[in-house]
Amino acid sequence: MTRFGGRRAGPGYVWHPVRRALARGLGRLVCVLLALAALAVLAPVTVVAAGAAAFAWWRGWPPRRLFAAAAWCLPMVLAWLTAVAVWPAVPGGTGRRPPGGAPLWLRVLAAPGRAWLAMLHLAAHGQLAAAAVAAAPPAVPLGILAGGLAWAYRIMRMETGAGGLTPAAPAAFDARQWGHQVRTAKAMLAVPSALPLISRSGDVVTGATIRAVGHRGQRPGRAAAIPYPRLRSHQVVIGSTGTGKTTLLLRLWAGFMAAGLRRYAAGGADRPLLVVLDCKGGASSRKVADRARRVLRDAGARSTAIWPDEASLSLWELPPDRLVTTLLDLIEHGTGGAAYYSDVMEALVSLAVGAPCGPPVNSADFLGRLDADWLSAAYGAAGDAGAVATVRSGKKAFDDVSLRFRALWRRLGAGLDGGGSFADADAWYCILEGTAESAVAEAQARALTDLLASYATGGGREILLAVDEFSSVSRRLPIWRLYERARSLGLAVQVSAQSWEGLAGSDDERYRVATTAEGGIWLLRTPRPEPIVELAGTRSLVDTSRRYSGAGTWEDSGSSRARLVPVLDGDIVRRLDVGQTAYIYRGGVTYVQVKRLTGRQAALAPAVGRDAAPAADTLPLPRVWPGDGADPPSPLPRPWPGAPGPARVPDASEVLDEAFGARRE
Amino acid sequence: MTIDRLYRSGGDDPPVWRAPRPPSPPAPEPPRERSALAVRNADALVFTADMYGIQFDQLAALAGGERAARAAVARWRTLGYADSARLSPGPAWVWVTKAGLAACGLSYPPAQPALSRLAHIRAVTAVRMALQSTAAYQLARPFWRCERRIRSRHGVGVRQHLPDAEVHWPDEAPVAWAGECWAVEAELSPKTVARTTAIMREILVRTGDYGCLAADAAVPGKPARHARALYVCSSAAVGTVLRARAELGPLAARIEVRDLPRDARL
Repeated sequence: MTRFGGRRAGPGYVWHPVRRALARGLGRLVCVLLALAALAVLAPVTVVAAGAAAFAWWRGWPPRRLFAAAAWCLPMVLAWLTAVAVWPAVPGGTGRRPPGGAPLWLRVLAAPGRAWLAMLHLAAHGQLAAAAVAAAPPAVPLGILAGGLAWAYRIMRMETGAGGLTPAAPAAFDARQWGHQVRTAKAMLAVPSALPLISRSGDVVTGATIRAVGHRGQRPGRAAAIPYPRLRSHQVVIGSTGTGKTTLLLRLWAGFMAAGLRRYAAGGADRPLLVVLDCKGGASSRKVADRARRVLRDAGARSTAIWPDEASLSLWELPPDRLVTTLLDLIEHGTGGAAYYSDVMEALVSLAVGAPCGPPVNSADFLGRLDADWLSAAYGAAGDAGAVATVRSGKKAFDDVSLRFRALWRRLGAGLDGGGSFADADAWYCILEGTAESAVAEAQARALTDLLASYATGGGREILLAVDEFSSVSRRLPIWRLYERARSLGLAVQVSAQSWEGLAGSDDERYRVATTAEGGIWLLRTPRPEPIVELAGTRSLVDTSRRYSGAGTWEDSGSSRARLVPVLDGDIVRRLDVGQTAYIYRGGVTYVQVKRLTGRQAALAPAVGRDAAPAADTLPLPRVWPGDGADPPSPLPRPWPGAPGPARVPDASEVLDEAFGARRE
Repeated sequence: MTIDRLYRSGGDDPPVWRAPRPPSPPAPEPPRERSALAVRNADALVFTADMYGIQFDQLAALAGGERAARAAVARWRTLGYADSARLSPGPAWVWVTKAGLAACGLSYPPAQPALSRLAHIRAVTAVRMALQSTAAYQLARPFWRCERRIRSRHGVGVRQHLPDAEVHWPDEAPVAWAGECWAVEAELSPKTVARTTAIMREILVRTGDYGCLAADAAVPGKPARHARALYVCSSAAVGTVLRARAELGPLAARIEVRDLPRDARL
């Protein structure tokens, strides 16, 4: 029973708030004094711990980096303990240890205390440097460990909302830490060679990690790397204009190429092939194509073809049955009564493609076959009376069908009528004028995907198909169908868009695309990240409430509860700076500061004549040269894209005849 | 027992750490008697190391006689630089040991010649010796880069065809083909025409050195590494090689096909 102010304090007695605050304050003062005394006694450990915690705060490090640093001090501690045990201090500098000295275990056990005493004595004699050295072996690891524990406690208090003077303190703390982590990541980007394109383990490095939630392998301030197999899976990239989407894509493409070539060189995989469908078109796409060529060249790509500006493909390499389907898909058909015309067209195109002399080799050949007399003669010579009858019955439609295909090829240009193949280059950058000529771009996209699908069935390449703003040309080929088709063929598809809405035509398709992105989702700054936040999932977090005392302060009392919060913070996504992205994968998210790739200059080839030797950075692809359309396709296999070497060599018969006899012909 | 006892100083002086007195140096051992024998035929030793191994009759031709070869092998074995055994029908084989490779300054992994490759090794050795015996070769003194040296730059599991040797002719050599690099292939047994054609094409379009990045192996616009490829074939393989050369088109002008020397077979 205690008396306060003349009143008895007993069960049920409620203290006056001022007395209670005073008592609490006194209690805290005593605790603080005791703690200060302990800290002063353990001054070396205190200093190191304070420095470690402050450094972690400044760099935005997680506590485990401090724990790791403490663990790395263990060899020093072991060496010190060994030295203490093997060479104990001897009295008077005699160099001889007197008999009856302390046993080994006691010397080791007493070493920290002895170091502490030595530090005190040396400091008392004014030898501060020697005192620091004497105390360092035990004080450094213990201090770093203590600093890590203190930093972990601080973070725990802030994450649970129990730390800080006000309830707003955790949010301010988190914002400051984000700034520190961004600064550390940017500093890492500035270090030369700190972020190679491929890590030692073969992973693709995209930049420096700012913060990671749920991804154990990623640590703030370290390289953000993703395994190569994820680039061989479907991925989604979303980011507004000017947020660094192109920089990220170039990095991913170069990483795919470099890692793929490395695996190919080691015999572990097929040669990589990157096909980019840029569905915007215009001058900006051509600038990106030039950048892509430069960075891919530096990543090891032997050649990058720019379609249709510098290289062309041949639609006529498709198998005949597939060619008929593709040709019909390139032409828009009506419905209802117009279905009759589509049937007639299908019949005539099938006859033209399946003629006994073989499928057409170019558009001129194909258009020449859309003639009743030619087809009658071709099938009549082969004795196919049924086909001749079909030609006669559809004789009136030949002019219309021919007219439509002539118009189609005039609009498509020579890009699909050359002699090239996807096998000719390591990377293809295809520019579709989706903004200016959407109808043409739709037809081109359909033809290119059919060509790629046909090429992929042959195997032998690891293919990544990257499509940018594909929704603008996906009227005839829904993107989810492209996804499913690619999956069946073993292709990886990387879809990029400026917003969630730009991903596909409908919400159903968007969710279908996003949920099947096994390789992860890259989210740059975007004003509406909610659908991706929802897809990223949740995590459990302790939430603490605090009681307001009414005197301008908040009390310690409150309640805590666990609740689920989104893994991906939508507000952070809205605030992301240029070059920052969130990588969502398997219920975790890693915020990355993307490292920009800069390729060498002058990657574009100068305009050279057809017979001139190609420049080193370009590919001797079947280019679309002026007047090239009239050239017949060569029946010979395409030459190997390597150097041809000298056509004639000096006669060395003198030495060879002498050594081995006459030449064998 | 207290901490004070550990000091054993008996006063308040701070413990002073003193470096332990260094132990007295051990008495120097008398120098071990080392063999003072000189290496006989050092060039032949390096030759043997380059070629994986050599059969005794070829070594005799190289050393200038059977007696000189026997003396050289005996000296090498005494020094621990070489070993010999009868690995195949005919004369014994000699190969260079780890100590011998170290003495030659070569970093090849030491190994006895593989039984499955003995015929090929002998054939390539015969090709080298035949070429070295010509007047133009002795005049120009080109560098014979053997397969073992090429392979030593290579990573394990790299899918590239390695030639049996390269001959680098100096730029200043008084021959018409000065500055050229030749790829040498010794063909004992026939492959398929398609495979042989692919190998020929790979050799002729290659631009980078062996062991370079895969992307630099064949770079458009760069000069070809091998000006020509020399195929030295057995009678069984020559037909396939000639058909494969015919498949090459214009590149066939850079393929030389010759017969193996008579003594090239095991």
